[in-house]
Amino acid sequence: MVTSPVLAVRDVEKTYTSGTRALRGVSMRVQPGTVHGLIGANGAGKSTLIKILSGWQQASAGTVEWKGEPVDWSQPGQALEAGMAAVHQHTPLVDAMTVVENVFLGRRETKRWDAAARRTELLALCERVGYELNPDELVSELSVGARQMVAILQALARDPDVVLLDEPTAALSPAEREVLFRSVRRLRDAGTTFVYTSHFLDEVMALTDHLTVLRDGLVVVDSPTADVTVESLVTAIVGKRLARLEAAAPAARAVGAPVLRVRGLASPGHFGPVDLTVHEGEVVGLAGLLGSGRTELLEAIYRADPASTGEVRVDDISVRHSPRAAVRAGLALVPEDRARQGFIRDWEIWRNISLPYLSGMSWRRLLPQAVREKQLALKAVDDLGIVAGSADSPVGELSGGNAQKVVFAKWVYGPARVLLLDEPSAGVDVGAKADILQLVRRLADDGRGVLMVSSEFEELLTACDRILVIRRGEIVADLTAADTDLHEVTALASGLKEGLPA
Amino acid sequence: MNSSWRRSLAPRAAGVVYAFIALVAILTITSAVQGRPSYLSSVNLSNILDQSALIAILAIFMTVVLISGNFDLSVASTAALAGTVALKTIDSYGPVVALLAALVTGALVGLVNAVLVQKLGVNAFIVTLGTLTAVRGVVQAILDGQSITATDTTLLDLATARWTLPIAVAIVIGVLLIAGAVVLVRRGSSIVATAGLWFAGLALILLAVFRPLMLTQTAPVWIMLVLAVLTALVLRFTVVGRNLYAVGGNPEAARLSGIAVDRYKMVAFVVNGTVAAMVGVLYAGRFNSVDPTVLTGGELTVIAAAVLGGTSLFGGSGYVAKSVVGTLILFTLSNGFNVLNIGSNYQNVVQGTVLVAAASLYTATSGRERRRFRLALRRGKGDPPASAKPEEKVLVS
Repeated sequence: MVTSPVLAVRDVEKTYTSGTRALRGVSMRVQPGTVHGLIGANGAGKSTLIKILSGWQQASAGTVEWKGEPVDWSQPGQALEAGMAAVHQHTPLVDAMTVVENVFLGRRETKRWDAAARRTELLALCERVGYELNPDELVSELSVGARQMVAILQALARDPDVVLLDEPTAALSPAEREVLFRSVRRLRDAGTTFVYTSHFLDEVMALTDHLTVLRDGLVVVDSPTADVTVESLVTAIVGKRLARLEAAAPAARAVGAPVLRVRGLASPGHFGPVDLTVHEGEVVGLAGLLGSGRTELLEAIYRADPASTGEVRVDDISVRHSPRAAVRAGLALVPEDRARQGFIRDWEIWRNISLPYLSGMSWRRLLPQAVREKQLALKAVDDLGIVAGSADSPVGELSGGNAQKVVFAKWVYGPARVLLLDEPSAGVDVGAKADILQLVRRLADDGRGVLMVSSEFEELLTACDRILVIRRGEIVADLTAADTDLHEVTALASGLKEGLPA
Repeated sequence: MNSSWRRSLAPRAAGVVYAFIALVAILTITSAVQGRPSYLSSVNLSNILDQSALIAILAIFMTVVLISGNFDLSVASTAALAGTVALKTIDSYGPVVALLAALVTGALVGLVNAVLVQKLGVNAFIVTLGTLTAVRGVVQAILDGQSITATDTTLLDLATARWTLPIAVAIVIGVLLIAGAVVLVRRGSSIVATAGLWFAGLALILLAVFRPLMLTQTAPVWIMLVLAVLTALVLRFTVVGRNLYAVGGNPEAARLSGIAVDRYKMVAFVVNGTVAAMVGVLYAGRFNSVDPTVLTGGELTVIAAAVLGGTSLFGGSGYVAKSVVGTLILFTLSNGFNVLNIGSNYQNVVQGTVLVAAASLYTATSGRERRRFRLALRRGKGDPPASAKPEEKVLVS
């Protein structure tokens, strides 16, 4: 079958001003009327390629061709104009407007808002997609899945030739996913082309016709989905790093008594009932993809989710329902979004570090003693290698890695028994990452328990004793780090392999 | 040490004090040139202090609420209601019951604000705009268009009493304040944090030596000064104060650090309501009467004073002493207009201009710092700043 591609990129490179080479010459041809899967691990260059395709960024070198013509989109509007619509994981919708108003938002072929015509058009569109929506319902009242469908309808209402779906299922329930897949297949059969990215490899295998796999800014696989096996796909994604990491996996060590016990913890809409145990001296990894409920689980263990039910026990004492109680019971959380949740920008390093256990550093638990606070900060700067002008520097002026070390320092010198770490090395350079992983190890060696979330599974394999795999809000496997590999963890987390419930 | 002195004296940190000094200097020179009685006479200065004392008390606790990250428009109405309650009850039940009834009323209004804002999550501006209107309505309903007076003069005596601080005591307190500041600096506090103590101690000693007449002030002035010092000490040097700044500076980080964020914010509202009630009682006592329009619009003066003092409307920063100076600026302006006999027509124009100019200055100076920081980052490579979002999120945000 010889058809000309509707969308093609040729030898596209992208180098950021920081010197990072995200794409090193990527070529891809998207045939009309197909679902084209674009996959890769974090940092493989997937996001950059999507941004270039949808006009958010421009390539440093190489060409993007649209229906055979080279194009140079510099704004998302131009891509949209040409017939290329993008649906992102969180497409912004106007909450206070109805479904029909949102779907036709920004379309201006006519000045007049012809409500009746728009409704008819929407109903026809729903018919085509095979999804029922009440045109007059407010978007704020829809479920996450229905909102995602509104975003997709919004894209389709412009009658595009190509629809770019970027992680569209991360927030969807299984039933909603099925609806989405049915719609995509139906529209594909009617001639619409899709570029589809997802972390969930089972979805990709089931839905796509053709696959492009990126790794480290290069295309490593480009073939029809039917020719790809699950095994070869995982290998293509994780690459040679596998061998190196298996060698580095830590030997199993003796662990102490259970220090954190979670029983039947659940939060409606985020994760199902979860049981887990962390022992003294143990680093437990929580491996899950974006949207798997990993962050929500960690926050619920920290008692920061008022809607959650179930029991959390530290040293066999039940923890009441507030972060304050959690801190008193001996829990500590290093949150994912450190700028929003971890520190106070304008405060000096020393005031940030002393915040959680300030009373302990105060005269009669009432008057903070700045001398002790500053001594602690100097010790932290020294121990953790925080690069800063002085302990008086505001944390907002530090680099990501150093700010993260400050957030760690808040807890490591205190009495915390269990540390919950959410993506402790995200947005941190390589050197700081190694420091942080070493620190995690040291914390456990002191007899504390560590529960650590990361989307970089290599990191978990190096740092952890045990790895729990979480997928769609359920823990699907409980693995000993020494007995598993990146292959297995990736397969379990992305749904290519069914695990036994832990 | 030197750099921290410089930082505490920089216009950004001490601008409101410089503005106040400049204003007083201008008024002093102008009145001298025009051959009027000395602007700096003890009588005139005491007069300004007495006029601004009650608003300054409100500004102190407004600052506390603003630091906690909230907003309270209802203080003037609350004060009016408390004054009304006090005068209505004092003749039948005596001054103690009247005062208690007034304070409880204020605390209740504060509690209503606190629950609606913190527990229900309604916007603080809307909630307190509502209580401002509703509480004023209650005052009007109680008074029914009439002004009332009380025969019991306890409140009148209290609000107009003149208390004298003996010279020796003033010097001792001044020395103690400075000694306290020295101890705190020795133990690691910065000069910036103790600047208020140095200043207050020095001012007290200088006044005792050169202007003993100034040691006689009305009761509201003394109450204001004591409350200002106490609140400033609590905010600066206690765990409670530190946590309050954290709650306003980044509520989520404070919550995840184990601080009871809701409790802090609610207590700030309740304390603010109670203090507003006390101010209302003193205000009613001043003339021993209240009318339905008493203190109308006062909340805006209070917020203006706090903003003049550099308090952030977004929470997490603010200084009690500077809010007091902000109040003094506003009252010095109106006093200056009277002394120079310029007429009050342009008073509001000038006050409004000063407020906007001050706010612009604060925003511009902090904005410049932020820009400089961003430029410095762009020059450096690699490791993104702590505040930058990770690469992946740019697309979806």
